[in-house]
Amino acid sequence: MTAIAKSARFKRYKNLEFILGVLLTGGICLAVLFSDLLFPDGGDKINLMARLTAPFTDTAHILGTDPLGRDVLARVVMGGKISLQVGILSVAGAVVIGVIMGLVSGYYRGFWDMIVMRFADVQLALPFILLAITFIAIVGGGLTNMIILLIVSQWVQYARLVRGSVLSLRDREFIQSAQAIGVRDIHILLRHLLPNLIGPVIVLMTLNVANNILLESSLTFLGLGVDPLIPSWGGMLADGRTYLQNAWWVSVFPGLAILLTVLGLNLLGDWLRDSLDPTGRTSR
Amino acid sequence: MIKQGMRTALMALALAGGMMASAPAHAEGTLTVSSPQDPGSWDPVDTFLVNWASVATNIYDGLTYRGPDTKLVPGLATSWEVLDDGLRIRFALREGVTFHNGEPFNADAVKFTFDRLMGEEGKKGPQRSNYAAIDNVEVIDDYTVDMHLTQPDPVLLTKLAGYGAMIVPPKYIAENGEDYFNAHPVGTGPFKFVSYEPKVGIKLEAYDGFWGDQAKISDLEYRFISEPSTAVAELQAGRVDLVIPPTIPIGMIPTIEEDPNIQVVTTASPTVYALRFNTANGITKDERVRKAMIYGVDRKAIIDAVLGGQASEIVSFQGELSFGYDPSLEPLPYDPNKAKELLAEAGVAPGANVQINIRGNDSTFNEVAQAVASYLQIIGLNATIKPYETNVLLNDIIPQGKTGEMFQQSWGGWTLDFDNTAYFMYHTGEKWNPYDSDPKMDELLESQRAITDQAKREEILREIANYAADRALEMPLYNLNAIFGLSNRVKNFTPVPDSRLRLNEVSVD
Repeated sequence: MTAIAKSARFKRYKNLEFILGVLLTGGICLAVLFSDLLFPDGGDKINLMARLTAPFTDTAHILGTDPLGRDVLARVVMGGKISLQVGILSVAGAVVIGVIMGLVSGYYRGFWDMIVMRFADVQLALPFILLAITFIAIVGGGLTNMIILLIVSQWVQYARLVRGSVLSLRDREFIQSAQAIGVRDIHILLRHLLPNLIGPVIVLMTLNVANNILLESSLTFLGLGVDPLIPSWGGMLADGRTYLQNAWWVSVFPGLAILLTVLGLNLLGDWLRDSLDPTGRTSR
Repeated sequence: MIKQGMRTALMALALAGGMMASAPAHAEGTLTVSSPQDPGSWDPVDTFLVNWASVATNIYDGLTYRGPDTKLVPGLATSWEVLDDGLRIRFALREGVTFHNGEPFNADAVKFTFDRLMGEEGKKGPQRSNYAAIDNVEVIDDYTVDMHLTQPDPVLLTKLAGYGAMIVPPKYIAENGEDYFNAHPVGTGPFKFVSYEPKVGIKLEAYDGFWGDQAKISDLEYRFISEPSTAVAELQAGRVDLVIPPTIPIGMIPTIEEDPNIQVVTTASPTVYALRFNTANGITKDERVRKAMIYGVDRKAIIDAVLGGQASEIVSFQGELSFGYDPSLEPLPYDPNKAKELLAEAGVAPGANVQINIRGNDSTFNEVAQAVASYLQIIGLNATIKPYETNVLLNDIIPQGKTGEMFQQSWGGWTLDFDNTAYFMYHTGEKWNPYDSDPKMDELLESQRAITDQAKREEILREIANYAADRALEMPLYNLNAIFGLSNRVKNFTPVPDSRLRLNEVSVD
C-alpha cells in the first residue's frame, strides 16, 4: 500500500524532473538559437555614457548594463552560444575518441588495451587545472584550444566506461555466436556491442555537457579562456567580480544563466539515467 | 570564590606589570599593511619588484633619499659632489648611524655594499645592470668615499635612493651568510626586522636608534594578499589599515568610498599604460594605419568612464612626473572619420584583423582593452583580444616578437626619468622592443646617456618622446594613479607615487 503510494509519488517526481529539465534546456537552446535575431548587435555595442545602468530601470536594458555600457540581457543570451558550443563540441569530441578507444581496447585486449589504459591512468592522475594552465600557457587560450583541452582531458572517462562494459559483454552468448558465424569485427563492435553500452555513455554525456559549461566558465574567469570581447558566461562573471558590491547585476545574471542551464541538463541526465537503467525502480 | 578573586587580582597585577615593562616612551600602536606580493627575498640585490620596496624602504637607507615629493635629499650621505666630468662622485657620510644589529655605518659598509652589488653576489640578481656605470668605490677616510664611474650616469644619484643601492651591514652578512640575510634583513632604516613568514607576511618594529625622525608606531606588519576583493574586505573589517598599490581595481573604489570607516587616497604615479604596435608585420607596419587607430579610439572617454578619473591621458609613454615629459606635445584627437580616411589611404580593407594581446589577470586593463577594441570595430577593423598568462606574455610572447598587431605594455620607472622607459622600449635589440630598429632613434637614445648636463638631456628626451609619437610607435593610453585604501584610524599618511613607502611619519589611533 505505502510502497505503491511511494512509487507513484516517485514517478510524479520523475515526471516533474523531466518536464523541468526539458523546459530549462529547451528554453535556453531556443534563446541561443535565435539570439542573432533577438539581438542583432550581438551585445557588443559599448555605450560609455550608460555604464552600469541598474536592472529594471531602463526598458532598453532590462537587466541593466555592464561597465562598458553593454546590455547585460543581450550578452547573457549571446554568451549562451559560447557555453553551449564548448559544452556540446567538447563532449562530442571526447565521446568519439573515448568510445573508439574503449571499444578497441576492451574487445581486442592485449597490447592496445595495455597502451590505452596506461595512458588513461597517467592522464587521470593529472589534476585538471594543472593540465589546463600548462596547456594554455603553451598554446594560448581561445575557443578552439579550450575545446581541444576539454576533449584531451575527458576522453578517458568514456574510454574507461566503454571498456568496462565491453569486458562484461564480450563473453556473452550473442557476441560469441556472432563470432562463431564469422561476423566481421567491425560489425560486432558497431552492431552488437555499441547499442548495448550506449545508455550509460549518453547519461555521462549530459552530465559532462553541464560540467564543461562550468569548466569553460572557470577558465574564462581565470582569464585563460575565450576572447574577452566575445560574450561568455564565465567572462561576464569575471568582469563583474570587482563590481559585485555596487553593481551585482553584472555577474549575477550570467551566474543565474549557468545555474539554470546546468540544472536543466542535470535533471535531464538524471531522468535519462533512470529511464535507461534496466534494473532501476522506474523500469516499465 | 576567594580563590577565583585571588587569581584575577594576580592576573591583573601581572598584566599591569607587563604593560609597564613594555610601554615605550614614544611609539605606540600597530599598523597593518596589505601588499599584493611576497618578493621572496629581502636582499636588495635580489629584487626588481616594487612591492619589495614598499617594505624594504622602511628597513634600509640609501646614500640619497627620495620621499613622496620626489625631490632628492641626503640620506646616509649628508652631501655629495660630482667631479671629473661626472666620472667621480665624492660622498660625505652621516656620522653616528648604526645598523639594527649595532654594527656602525661607515665608509667600509658603503664599499662593501657596492663591491657586493657589482661582484659575484650581485651577478645572481637583476639589480646589477641598473648600476653598470659604477666602477668601484674608494674609501678616503671613515666618513668619506669616492665613487668612480666608467661613464657618466645622469640618473645614478636617483638610483642610489632605492633598490640595489641600499646600504647593507658587512659584518652581519659575513657572520650569518647570504641565505640567512635573504630572510633576516638588517639595515639602518626606521624599522627593524622581527619575523618573516613566506607568502604570509613580514613583521617589523620601530628602531630606537634611527638617525632620522623616529617612527610614531611601535609595530609595522605586512600581509601578502594578492586578491583585491580579499584585501578590500579585510580593510572593511578593520583587520588591515592600509592597502597599497597595485591592488585596488578602479571598479572597487565606489565600494570603499561608501564605507564611512575607510577611504581612498590617490596620487600621481609613474605607471603608464599603452597598447604598443607590432611595427614589423601586419597592417600596423604602416605608420598611417597606426595613426588611424589612434585617431579612431576615444581615449579621453575611456579614461573618464572606465577609469573613473583615476588616470590622466598621456601623449608619449610617460606621465607628468617623468623627466623628459613634454607639456607642449598634443594628443591626436578622437576623429573616426579621419581614421577611416587614413585606413582607406593605406589600402586597408574593412574587416582587417587586429589582435590585441593583454595580461589575463589585469581586470581594469581588460575593460580598457575591450573598449579600445569596440572603438576599432567602429572604424571598420575586426579587433580581437587574446589574453595571456602574465609571465608568458612578458617572457615569451613580447620578447620573441610573437604578439598580434597590438600588445599591452605597462611600465613604471621608479627613477621617473624617461631614459628608463624610452631606452628599453625603443632601442634596437632591447627585450621590450622586438620589432623596431631605427638608427635615428638609437642615436638619440645613446646621445643622452653620455652627458650629465640635465637641461640638454631633457631636451633630447623630449625630442625622443616627440619622435616616437610622430612615428606612432604605440597607442598611448593613460597614466594611472597610485591608489591606496586607508583606514580612518591612520593619521598623517602621505601617498607615495612609486610604492617606495616609508611609514615613520604615520601614526594610528
